[in-house]
Amino acid sequence: MKFVPKEITEEVNVTPVHPLVNLAYLLGTVALVGISIYVGLGLIAGQLVKRIGPETEERIGASLVSSLFDSPSIERVDADDRRLEYLQNLTTSLQGNLSQTEIVAVDYPPVKVSILDMPEENAMVTAGSYLIVTEGLLSNVESENELAFVLAHELGHLHNRDPLNALGRSLVLLTVSGLLGLGQGPASALVPNALNLAEQGHSRTQESAADEYAIALMMARYPHGGHSLDFFRRVGEKEPDLGIFSRVAEWQHTHPLTGDRIERLEDVAQANNWPRTGPPTPLPEHIGCQNFVPCQD
Amino acid sequence: MELLFPLILMGIGFFVGRYLEAKHYASIKDREKKTLHIPMMNFGAKQSLPYAHDAKLFVGSVVVANDYFKTISAGLRNLVGGRVVVYESLVDRGRREALLRMKEAAIEWGASQVINVRFETSSIGGKSRDQGLSAVEILAYGTAIR
Repeated sequence: MKFVPKEITEEVNVTPVHPLVNLAYLLGTVALVGISIYVGLGLIAGQLVKRIGPETEERIGASLVSSLFDSPSIERVDADDRRLEYLQNLTTSLQGNLSQTEIVAVDYPPVKVSILDMPEENAMVTAGSYLIVTEGLLSNVESENELAFVLAHELGHLHNRDPLNALGRSLVLLTVSGLLGLGQGPASALVPNALNLAEQGHSRTQESAADEYAIALMMARYPHGGHSLDFFRRVGEKEPDLGIFSRVAEWQHTHPLTGDRIERLEDVAQANNWPRTGPPTPLPEHIGCQNFVPCQD
Repeated sequence: MELLFPLILMGIGFFVGRYLEAKHYASIKDREKKTLHIPMMNFGAKQSLPYAHDAKLFVGSVVVANDYFKTISAGLRNLVGGRVVVYESLVDRGRREALLRMKEAAIEWGASQVINVRFETSSIGGKSRDQGLSAVEILAYGTAIR
């Protein structure tokens, strides 16, 4: 057998695929599958969440707020603070005002008000109708109109069942993140931290719907919309405080406030021929201090 | 942005890596042409060997590593499975380079053939470190006779 040297010209061992094409194919596959799983789970969770009964919702809400209140960095105001009673009455009165509007009432668990000792101005509502406001908010409102608008906005979220929907989405997000090992895991096994929910925020549509609900309630309660939005105007003028990067959701974060929002509300008021000026209703004195007693500092 | 730094690295890996790999392949093909006339055979362990005055063991080894871009691609491939195409060229280059080094050393010695050619592969860096060096050491050894 004679050896005849032959040059091998074909690259039998290398697949002729352009590396960028290969990468694009891989990224595309991973992204596509990831997104379809996420969306699918979101739809399933949304359907499941609709079928949560009121007792289950209360229990979920209770465990959400208990994880929030048990956190050492969060201080809750005493249960015998008379401001709680005032806020509770104001909320009940607002819910009563609903009958004076054209909005049909929706069943949700009874509202339970709490005040958190935080300097940030914030208000949020969770599944189970736990309405939480901060000391910062109470110190900075100047009329009952403003406070009522904020509370009415949160009642609007409850009316539209937004906290439950946020719960569904967050559950999916947190479970998937936990499975893939990314980002923050859930604080307790299945129930996410209430602040995580607040940070997810609601969609623009949900926020607008809650705003419109609130302004309708304002028109029913005081026959004018004046001063309700003063609080937002003041907040919008202040420089955004970038010094606070705590886990607590900033007002600007949960409610992305732009001039558009105020403008849209004024447009709604104008479309309905609602008067936009009128005298403000005063707040009880020392609402920014504990138990209505004048603040020590 | 945190995404920018890995993207820059991937860009370096892609462009520089492609250039260096192309250069290496050109060198390999050129040297293969030059050393084509000496046959290499795989048999010899248990078969009778051709007559020779002299016989000597020659070893050619090379360590090749993949660029960052290919490593990331391979990492993604790890999710979905299948042929890791990006590593194919790495292993091919390494094998041919090792073989050439052995052959060139044998030719310099004056070999007329190289028999009982074997391959060994080992990974350097390995799986222990995520961001570690993903390199492959390829060894080719054979008996040269003249």
